[in-house]
Amino acid sequence: MARWSAGGLVPLAATGAVLAALPWVVGTGIYSLRITTLMLIQITYAVAFNIVFGHTKQLFLCVGALAGSSAYLSVILVRDLRLAPAVAIGLGTLAAGALGALLSYVAARRGLGVIFVGIVTLVVSLIFQNLLLGLRRYTNGETGIVTQGLGVGLAGAATAGYYVFLAVLLAALCLYRWLIAGRPGLAFGALSEDELTAELAGIDVTRYKVLAAAIGAGLIGLTGALFADFNGFISPSVFSLAHVDIVVLIALLLGGVRTLLGPVVGGAAFALIDELVRPFGQATVLAYGVLLIVLFLAFRQGLVPTLRRKVRVPLP
Amino acid sequence: MIAVVLDGLVQGMQLALLGVGITMVYGLGGVLNLAHGQLAVIAAVAAALLLEAGLAPAAAAALGALGAGAAGVLADRTLLLPAYRRRGEERLLLALILTLGLAFAVDGFLAYRYPSVALTLRLATGAVVIAGIPVRTASLAASAMALGAFGALALFLRYTLVGKAVRSIIQNETGASLCGIDVARTRTLIVGLSGLLAGLAAVAQAFFSNVGPEMGPEFTVLALIVAVVGGVRSLSGTVAAGLLLGLVNAVSSYYVGTYLTWILLLLAALLTLLVRPEGLLASWT
Repeated sequence: MARWSAGGLVPLAATGAVLAALPWVVGTGIYSLRITTLMLIQITYAVAFNIVFGHTKQLFLCVGALAGSSAYLSVILVRDLRLAPAVAIGLGTLAAGALGALLSYVAARRGLGVIFVGIVTLVVSLIFQNLLLGLRRYTNGETGIVTQGLGVGLAGAATAGYYVFLAVLLAALCLYRWLIAGRPGLAFGALSEDELTAELAGIDVTRYKVLAAAIGAGLIGLTGALFADFNGFISPSVFSLAHVDIVVLIALLLGGVRTLLGPVVGGAAFALIDELVRPFGQATVLAYGVLLIVLFLAFRQGLVPTLRRKVRVPLP
Repeated sequence: MIAVVLDGLVQGMQLALLGVGITMVYGLGGVLNLAHGQLAVIAAVAAALLLEAGLAPAAAAALGALGAGAAGVLADRTLLLPAYRRRGEERLLLALILTLGLAFAVDGFLAYRYPSVALTLRLATGAVVIAGIPVRTASLAASAMALGAFGALALFLRYTLVGKAVRSIIQNETGASLCGIDVARTRTLIVGLSGLLAGLAAVAQAFFSNVGPEMGPEFTVLALIVAVVGGVRSLSGTVAAGLLLGLVNAVSSYYVGTYLTWILLLLAALLTLLVRPEGLLASWT
């Protein structure tokens, strides 16, 4: 199977080119760079969530908790143990990946269905939030931690920060393509259709589910740790369900589940919508809720598959 | 210590009121309602607004709880219809996302429109002494409401024809509909009833503290924990789980503090899901 045929690389290169040029289109002011960088972060989360939820049907409602655990761990390691930031970020990423793999393994072994995986991970998210509030000595509780000087220095470097996150996103997209175009992709397809049949066909269902969860969670962890550095400060609320999970879910559904470009298109569209509803303050949560309902009801296909059908362009 | 245990039992009854709603809707409709706590908050906000408008507290509270029931019926007749057209896991997943969206929509709307409205019901007398133990009148009122609701629910499920229909649908939806039971209408009734019970829980909570628009997620999570520990298909299990977790909650917040208590409750739910997904206390029914 040709994983790296020229045709397969065109969409990746095009996405990279468009996103690389984006700062010059929307401006390189501090505000617009912050918005576009946050968009890249959300898209990367969505790419990872697409692997876990889209391809192996594991409803991980703990994207924020995975990102947050990696972020807090790396920040605390640098602050208290004086580790090098890069090492701490690596350890945070590994920890998130391991947590994701553990959740997936336990869920697969216990034979939990989609819903129960959803509840378990939701409960894990809530435990994580309460731990942050409770372990005040390490996390400063609700006040959060100022991360200036504790990371690799993305907070000050506005344009450079954008390109670091773009590099992470492109690496994530390459990883996604490599996974899906190869043997894991076949296994994912089979096990999300019918687990029993996949098992009978000789596919180690648990192994591939854990693989997807570990890669997805690790990617989320890496992005979360880098986000902690970029944001300049972390608190429980920046990793809450409302700020991460719901956004990622909307972005992925909007763009199209199980597509390469879905998270990118959906994340960009969501960033645009979010800018439009921002003036309404508290009502943004209302808008998110309505958006989630409408998307799931009327637009379950997502933008990319719809475009595929309407324009007849074979979008990946 | 006796006071703590008593407090725990009263809290447990409120938890059970919340949890029973989730259990009934899950058992009957195959829908895990993540907007359950938001129904409770709707009741609180509606009652608070009615109080402000000059209604008597009892009438305002009753109308608020009925409002939550009506909101449940409305959600069932509109939002959940597409979910009911599917079966099994697909219905669960669709309904999960839809009610999650509804929860965010209600939270956002209430926080936006009524940020500072909160329901507080103060009773005229502070405490009475029963058998040598001082008991808060608020506790008495809350437990009387909860017990009354459970009693009525048990009688309704056991002795009325509609109650029998409800139990038959829980056992087998297709079989019940073949026997001529109107599944959709019974379902609507139950979703409304679960909203009413959630509303009652919010009213009971208002005897002790302010119940404001920001409390929806907390109510939902508590209800979910209770339902999970009790077994999402077992009513008596849910009531037992509510009492048990109420006790755990009171004793542990007395001795080890609030945040650890929350973690303890959540861990209880997590372990139940992993060890006995059908519910810790489910076999009691």
